[in-house]
Amino acid sequence: MLDDIKSVLTFAAFRPDADDPEVPWATRFLGRKTLLLNVNRSHVSWRSINRRGKFDKAGFHEGDLADVAAQRGEEWRAMTEGGWCCVSINNRFIISLETGLMRADNLNHLMRTNPRTVLGPKYDRGKRYAIYHHTETTASMLLACEDSMVKVTEDVLRGVGLKPGRICCGLFAMLEYALKGIYDSNRGQAPSSFLLIAACEGSIGALAQQDGQWRDLRCRSGLGPDGMDTALQIISPLVAKAPPGTPVFFVSDGQDPTFRKTLMEQLERVEARDLTQDDLVWKILGEH
Amino acid sequence: MSQYLCHDFKTPRTDMSRRLPGSMRVVPIFFYAVALATAFFVFNDMRALQQAEQDRLAAIARKDEYLAAKTTLDSEKTTIDAELFRAEAVAKWVEGTRVLQPITVAIARAVPLETNITELNLERSADLPAQVSMLVRLNNSTLAEVAKIESSVNRLHYRSFSPSQAKQGDLIEFRSMLVWQEH
Repeated sequence: MLDDIKSVLTFAAFRPDADDPEVPWATRFLGRKTLLLNVNRSHVSWRSINRRGKFDKAGFHEGDLADVAAQRGEEWRAMTEGGWCCVSINNRFIISLETGLMRADNLNHLMRTNPRTVLGPKYDRGKRYAIYHHTETTASMLLACEDSMVKVTEDVLRGVGLKPGRICCGLFAMLEYALKGIYDSNRGQAPSSFLLIAACEGSIGALAQQDGQWRDLRCRSGLGPDGMDTALQIISPLVAKAPPGTPVFFVSDGQDPTFRKTLMEQLERVEARDLTQDDLVWKILGEH
Repeated sequence: MSQYLCHDFKTPRTDMSRRLPGSMRVVPIFFYAVALATAFFVFNDMRALQQAEQDRLAAIARKDEYLAAKTTLDSEKTTIDAELFRAEAVAKWVEGTRVLQPITVAIARAVPLETNITELNLERSADLPAQVSMLVRLNNSTLAEVAKIESSVNRLHYRSFSPSQAKQGDLIEFRSMLVWQEH
């Protein structure tokens, strides 16, 4: 009772809950320090956000999340207020194209609490899902992440005193962000055909749209040192199938200039447009 | 792009509290406004109370000052009253001390030539100077002369009290207390 009164008098009751997934991260943690984590198969990278909402410290550590957390947990906690962090899982996920999935206003809530109602027989209880609908067709982009991976990540972070306020997939978020940007910035004149390539710390996804329809989607996570060859193997068939003159958009996390430069050298042959911004993946996670 | 909301598939919490509607912000705002107003009025009242207390002490000091002055004035008045009383008594005494010569002249003129005034005694009372004890002894006289003497003294604004006459042959003794009459 006293806590309720205190929260009303301090206006905390009117601010969004730190764990509320319906509110953008920057709004949830206005004036508070938070940590953004990107968990890959072989390394973990992070970026902290200070009280003014600006990016502060950055880091990278080779190893499994459990090992890295054991070593960096104290440092990570110091970068937060209350231990809140946003985690991007960049491993053990699949992004696929689906059609005819349910669309509703509370879709995101349903996907978290009862995904079976949205996915029907496609639902697998061993997976966590996120969805992004094509605005003009019945196609949807479906992310399925290993449930065990999410749970392990949550447990590891809780074990070092961190509270995951959001667990998402950085690559999927970049695809969503880039698609929304393409459709919004070219409102009414969006290209009916394009190829969108997204890369996020060793994961790559490519989406092909032809005549206003999403035709093909390929993704791969956890690319190793030979990631460039694998990436090209994924992209090449889509580029080859695209009609001449199809716009190609490339967006990357903005942290690995070498990978970006090398891939863009290949993509410049098809006059690809680079939508990458510095720290783009962190901006998406830390603002939206 | 600001409408974009990043997806989230963390394990959902069931105990998450929903935020209160923004319109309910008036509750804490009203609370703080009332608290500030209360503090303002309490502060004002406390200041007024302190001021009133200072005014009360100042008024008490002024009252004591005035009482002291009044006491001084009262004692001075008492002194003056006593002086005045004494002065009035002196004035009355002085006023009462009338010259006796006109009485003797009036008595002398009131008796005829054949009558002898053998003794005329005018004795003024020391305490009441307005009262003069008169004794007249006449030889070869009648009571008519006594009446003349009495009327002539009355014309001098003296009133005769307790007159007494005694006659032994030709000798008449007339006693009276003469009291000066104010106009």
